[in-house]
Amino acid sequence: MVISPVHYIAVPLLAAFLIPLLSKFIHKELARIVPGIVFLYSIFISITLMLQIGDKGIISEVIAGWQAPWGINLVFSPFSGFLASLMSIIGFLIWLYSYNFKKIDKEQSQKYHILQMMMVTGAIGIVLTGDIFNLFVFMEITAITAYSLTSFYRERDGAEAGFKYLLIGSFASVLILLAIMILYTQLGTLNMAEIAQKSHLIPTSLKTTIIVLFLVGFGIEAEMFPLNGWAPDAYSQSPGPIGAAFAGIVVKAGVYALVRVIFTLFDIHGAYDFLIYGGLITMIIAETSALAQTNLKRMLAYSSIGQMGFVLMAFGIGTHQAIVGALFLMFNHAIIKSLLFMSGSYLTYNSLTKQISALSGLGKKLPLVSILFGIGAFAIVGLPPFSGFWSKLYVLSAAADKNMLLLIMTILAVSIVEIIYYFRVVSTLYYGKQNPEIEIQKPSINAMVSMIALGITILVVGVYPDVITNLLENAATALTDKATYIQSVLTQNLPIN
Amino acid sequence: MNSFFLILLILLAGAAISFALGKISSIISGTVAFLSIASASVLFFTQLKNNTYIEFPLGEIQLQWGIDSFGYIFALIVLGLGSLASLYSISYMQNKERTGIFYFNFVLVITSMVGIIFSQDFISFFIFWEIMTWSSYLLIIFNKKDVKEIGVKYMIFSAIGAYSMLTAIVMIKGNYNTFLISDAIQAGAFNFTNNEYIPILLLIGFAVKAATMPLHVWAPKAYSNSPMSFTVIFSGAMSKMGVLGMALVLVRIFTFNANNEAILPNFSPIILQQTLAWLGAITAVIATLYALMQDDAKKLLAYSSIAQLGYITVGLAIGTKLSVMAALFLAIVHGIFKGALFMVAGAVERQAGTTDMTKVSGLIRKMPFTFFTALIAIIALAGIPPLGGFVGKWMLYESLITESNSYFLVILVFFSSTSAFLYCYRFLFGLFLGQEEEATKDVKEAPITMIIPMLILSVLLMVTGAYPGILFDPIAKGMETIGFNNVTWDMSVLGNIWGNSVNMIYVWLTIVIVFIAAFIFLTLKGLKGTRYVSTKDISTSGEIPLEHENLTFQINFFQPFRRAAAPMYKRSMDKIWNEIGSGLESLFNFTRKIYTGNGQTYAIFVIAFLVLMLLLKDTLFLN
Amino acid sequence: MYNLELQNNLITTSVYGSAIALILIGLYAVLVKKNLIKIVIGLSIIDAGIHLLFVAIGYIKGFTAPIFSPGSENLANKMVDPVPQALVLTAIVIGFATTAVALSLVIRLYKHHNTARIDQIKSLKW
Repeated sequence: MVISPVHYIAVPLLAAFLIPLLSKFIHKELARIVPGIVFLYSIFISITLMLQIGDKGIISEVIAGWQAPWGINLVFSPFSGFLASLMSIIGFLIWLYSYNFKKIDKEQSQKYHILQMMMVTGAIGIVLTGDIFNLFVFMEITAITAYSLTSFYRERDGAEAGFKYLLIGSFASVLILLAIMILYTQLGTLNMAEIAQKSHLIPTSLKTTIIVLFLVGFGIEAEMFPLNGWAPDAYSQSPGPIGAAFAGIVVKAGVYALVRVIFTLFDIHGAYDFLIYGGLITMIIAETSALAQTNLKRMLAYSSIGQMGFVLMAFGIGTHQAIVGALFLMFNHAIIKSLLFMSGSYLTYNSLTKQISALSGLGKKLPLVSILFGIGAFAIVGLPPFSGFWSKLYVLSAAADKNMLLLIMTILAVSIVEIIYYFRVVSTLYYGKQNPEIEIQKPSINAMVSMIALGITILVVGVYPDVITNLLENAATALTDKATYIQSVLTQNLPIN
Repeated sequence: MNSFFLILLILLAGAAISFALGKISSIISGTVAFLSIASASVLFFTQLKNNTYIEFPLGEIQLQWGIDSFGYIFALIVLGLGSLASLYSISYMQNKERTGIFYFNFVLVITSMVGIIFSQDFISFFIFWEIMTWSSYLLIIFNKKDVKEIGVKYMIFSAIGAYSMLTAIVMIKGNYNTFLISDAIQAGAFNFTNNEYIPILLLIGFAVKAATMPLHVWAPKAYSNSPMSFTVIFSGAMSKMGVLGMALVLVRIFTFNANNEAILPNFSPIILQQTLAWLGAITAVIATLYALMQDDAKKLLAYSSIAQLGYITVGLAIGTKLSVMAALFLAIVHGIFKGALFMVAGAVERQAGTTDMTKVSGLIRKMPFTFFTALIAIIALAGIPPLGGFVGKWMLYESLITESNSYFLVILVFFSSTSAFLYCYRFLFGLFLGQEEEATKDVKEAPITMIIPMLILSVLLMVTGAYPGILFDPIAKGMETIGFNNVTWDMSVLGNIWGNSVNMIYVWLTIVIVFIAAFIFLTLKGLKGTRYVSTKDISTSGEIPLEHENLTFQINFFQPFRRAAAPMYKRSMDKIWNEIGSGLESLFNFTRKIYTGNGQTYAIFVIAFLVLMLLLKDTLFLN
Repeated sequence: MYNLELQNNLITTSVYGSAIALILIGLYAVLVKKNLIKIVIGLSIIDAGIHLLFVAIGYIKGFTAPIFSPGSENLANKMVDPVPQALVLTAIVIGFATTAVALSLVIRLYKHHNTARIDQIKSLKW
């Protein structure tokens, strides 16, 4: 069997269909195990394809034998491949973490695992697809599963968060659909490569309208201010591992779409400033809002939004190094914030309100989880020798190349705010008064494995960033190299079976 | 294997092992920490040759490590004091909780400082700098006292410093395309003709660690609240990392401009020089005044540290050969005597349970060795001949008077250093002299592993007093490395610019003779017998004090002085910063109300943003 | 011929106009109405408007359905564009799923808060 990008989508879809049947007729446990196998397979595909494309290659896979631009095609470039691999790995770790998650009872866990798998699949579809309408469909798959997962716990305010998410998410889908519609009336194609090739043919005012619709639509998914009202609620009310999935996977897909539109579809330099200012404002508002949070997960949510602002801003700088830095930030944010959500949800396990004060003195009761949380906190604020430092350095250095002194200073001023609230949590964790009444929940072994894997990644990348920079360089090149993208999608001759 | 890596590996391994062993026994854990630091020191001073460099790439970034004569000065402080402090810690930390974490961070701080000294490029410099910051943060809040206030303040100011440094570093990279310190200097990154903000940002970064006004507010509580065996390092060695950086930058600024006359008309280094010198002097004065008012010996020492760092800043800012030499000399000697004093405070804390000078007194008989160390260190601190502190102060005064062009500055420094006598006396008297308290009746001398480092430091102070040349030698070499030429010195003669000179040997001999004579006289006088009374055994004019009232003049020691200086104490930098902080916090609290919680509002935001973008689309997105 | 064109324009305009009217009505419901059910209805109306608009774009007066059957090959350039219709079908399905999830959330919210007014469901804020 030839490994192809289609398997990323087809296998989970098939599995999602089969799981209820299998668990009914063969064994109940299968419902929880199969998603893990699917994720493992995705990781396997990622590794195989990443090796196959090498440094520069792009695999463009057509579905059902229809050539691009008529059929739907999947594009596995170093850029989308990097994100797809990252999502598969984070998806697998989240599955591993939530395999025995006690809060999700056995009856619910079947639903949970299928939804989680589909959410990740949708996100992977977004980054892989070469068809703009297909991207919309995958975005909706992701969004609808995300709504359900947000409101997964019945005892919390999940429904409220889910409804807000849905309300704003519906706007996103309407705007994106509208944009696709106008685009189609103008160019008569939905293939992204062809759109990119012909985008200069669109009349200017319509073109900018399309861009605005796309930016606002994808900006909602990418948590840009002021479109991110849903995000803190959704992060804080969803189950812990789903918070990790939002931060590590779903938002990344939104950012991918935004960046694709700006860099590939329209290649519009005017939007760079938009990204810089939008990102900067998002960062400032989110980080300063995080400062006064008493709810740990809500604090992490705001921090997540702030980080995404940072990512958008880094993309906005627009130089090669800045894009490498932005991708590095995305990578770091995916692993670090996942770790923070995972360990944080064990630290506040029995606290319904997830108060930071509930962490008081847990450093002694849950030593390993606390250390992992500490590593995550140190890494996300960019302290060396953890991985967060390098991404910050890359971005700042790129900003310095363009002599953006004021920008650098603003970013760092905001980082100080970040340091304050993260260190407050860490000091509460280790040096707060112990509350003997707090019952702790020891994490299961698989959850521990998953967290330790993330922690080790943070350390390894922090000490030796070379393990990742090569991938990032290729990905950044693939993102900005519009011509190669168009060429490899439109002029391929043989459909691969 | 390369010695650079080997040294750091030994230290890191020591950190890891002592962390692992912390659960088993604090003594074993401490011993491991001591052994790793000591063996790293031995390796450093035997294996590493001066002016050796290694380069290795980390991704696209070229890193360079090396050791030059300038770094050597600071290695002396860090490793010497580090070994002694870790030896001291073994007993100090005995039977305390979480010793694993303590030793881990302790060794990590030493490691990162060694790393800073090794670093010849900005990236590794910054990495080690940040590791130093967070590991010391974990030690500062180790005692669980005022965790939020102290820890957060320390982190905020460290972050301000570190981030201004990082800004400078990336701007250097952006403008000169290098991360190597030597290349940056070659390219003229530190001179004011190209861009004045790079050196200023770097100086801000270093000034935070050197606790210069107005960035000093983290220091008093951080120094006094961390475990004393760490404060030895914290005040003695870590603050010197700020001095290291400042010296590196300032000397480049001044020497470059002296040689090339390339001075920007609107921002000449003279302004920078004067500003820094004044900041240093004001820091010294204010910190001294605050030190006077402290009842806690640890706090007193903390403020005194800030004051001493103020002198060092003044010396560096003047920027002449003599003043920089004085500053570096003071930096080393301050490391020694403040290390000794914090060890004394730690010993008193461990043996008597508190360092509150109103509660402890008369320990001279209980802890004679500790007293001896305290005496020697206080003499050095006050700058009284014949110890090392005198030498440094002498040179500083000389350079100030002859080279600073500002007599007000001299007056300020004189004033603060004279006022320092008051708190020096207070420290000695409060803890060791006076009547014995009931509460401290059963106090014993500190254990031997704490006495030994203290005595070693005392001896060092005497030696540097008699033969300051043994420190002049490395300092002169180091200064030649960073840009001065022909730094001359003499083994025990001071003052080779002014014409007159002081030979320390004579001073030393004279004073020792006087000291011995006085000692014999007092001992003979003491033989007649003294009546010991309790502190409550006091009759005042016509009033009989209540039983629990302690009316000895340990309480409200400098009351008249406090009254005189009262207006000054009202306005402190601390309050200003606190107000800025709370103002920002309420602003942030206000802005986050934008997340109203009503889903419909968020929807309105989206539509409003969409409309706004549609209105602005042509201005924004036309290429 | 003239009449036909006018008629054509009229139809197109009225279809476009009603689509835009639907979108605006839906927006009004979502942004102004406080009742959760009404908001969900508003979302559906917006969706319907968009779908209508999309279908209207694909439609060309006088063209036939894009089905190739024996004898209709020569009509290839007189066929309407099938893609918008396919897309709208997909979008309808998605809208349906979203509405279903939304309604289930509304039920949960009503049970939890005992109210269906969106401005009273604000336990998560700031």
